Amino acid sequence: MSQAEFRKLIPALRIAIRPRSLRMRNIDGPGGRLKRIAGHVTNLIRDERVEHNFPTLSEARNYAERLIAEAIRHGDKHQPTMDLANFYLQEKQLVHKLFKVLVPRYRNSTVSYTKMYKAPTITNRKPAAIDHPKGILELRNNPLPPLEPRPIPTRNWIHNVLLEEARKDFAAEKKMEKELALQNQIEDQQRDQNDEID
Amino acid sequence: MLDRHDMITRRKHIDIPEFYVGSVMAVTINDPNATGRSSRFVGICIQRMNRGLKSNFTLRNVLDYQGMEIMYEMYCPVISSIETLRLEKRLDPHLLYLRDARPEYSTFPMDMEPELIAEDAPVPINDVKVKMIDGDWDKSWERQELKGIDLSGLTELQKRMALKRKTPDYVQYDLMKEYRSTLPEEDQEDIYREIAPHYPALVASQRKFRRRKLAGDA
Repeated sequence: MSQAEFRKLIPALRIAIRPRSLRMRNIDGPGGRLKRIAGHVTNLIRDERVEHNFPTLSEARNYAERLIAEAIRHGDKHQPTMDLANFYLQEKQLVHKLFKVLVPRYRNSTVSYTKMYKAPTITNRKPAAIDHPKGILELRNNPLPPLEPRPIPTRNWIHNVLLEEARKDFAAEKKMEKELALQNQIEDQQRDQNDEID
Repeated sequence: MLDRHDMITRRKHIDIPEFYVGSVMAVTINDPNATGRSSRFVGICIQRMNRGLKSNFTLRNVLDYQGMEIMYEMYCPVISSIETLRLEKRLDPHLLYLRDARPEYSTFPMDMEPELIAEDAPVPINDVKVKMIDGDWDKSWERQELKGIDLSGLTELQKRMALKRKTPDYVQYDLMKEYRSTLPEEDQEDIYREIAPHYPALVASQRKFRRRKLAGDA
């Protein structure tokens, strides 16, 4: 394994990545592979949520995260970043969306800019067809209806109410015991002092 | 990390100077079979591999019309001294093509004196275009993107084949290839934080070695 080369400071990706890049067979070779990934990144930036085969989207996710990180770091006046955005975003108004909408949205974020879900694989096709695992890739804080169910507040469930009260009782008991012990200690000290004087 | 700890410990015992591919260096090793129990080799650094504790560099020289290369592991305890006689950089990341270049580009006298430059001067870049031998080359150097070769003697066919192998433009846009080949900023900072406590001791030992060397030369 060859050692890392340090030519450019790159911020770490906030997602787990494969140690090797995904092999995507393409008639145009590696150039075609990158173009296909750029297509997925374009769709993601435009629709803010895409559904496709899971491994391909996983790989496209890495590129999308890197693109957004570069845009946040360098801004739109930096020529190499503009060239990158030009390459990955195949519609020109999406370059504006990246720098004007997404960069302010994620500028102060400490988590990843995208989220990845596994989608239902079984589709209405002939039994002999291969069902490729599907995935959904979406940008965080997008305006679309959420995919995850709203978390149910469980504080008012009966067993949680009872447990909370039991916790409070226990804390009060402990506090009383401590105060009693402290009072006893003070009384003992005073008694010892009085004995000394006598 | 254990490797880094061992590298720091070794650097407190030996001064490993600044050098680049293209610098002329002299290495003395402890050789039990040599007269004086040590042997010295002078050569131009044609390759440098940074592999942690196994980091190495290769020196090339032509002695008695015979080209020879020796690969030294920087942190090997057998090495007793490493000196940079001429500190300079070249245009390419390696100089392996010197094997197929005319011998004058790889010949350096074994009793070469160190060439001193100012401490804060920038490292000079030698932009020489090396002339190659007329016969068959070991590798098709014209197809690698090397800037230090004089390619004026190529045939038309060779020139066309060289253009075919040029790296395509889209490679510069491959974000994950770039990311997977480097260490991210946060991990680099972790490593610097790990070795920062050792910096004062290292700088002090370096200064001690250089002072001792100057006193020895004087």
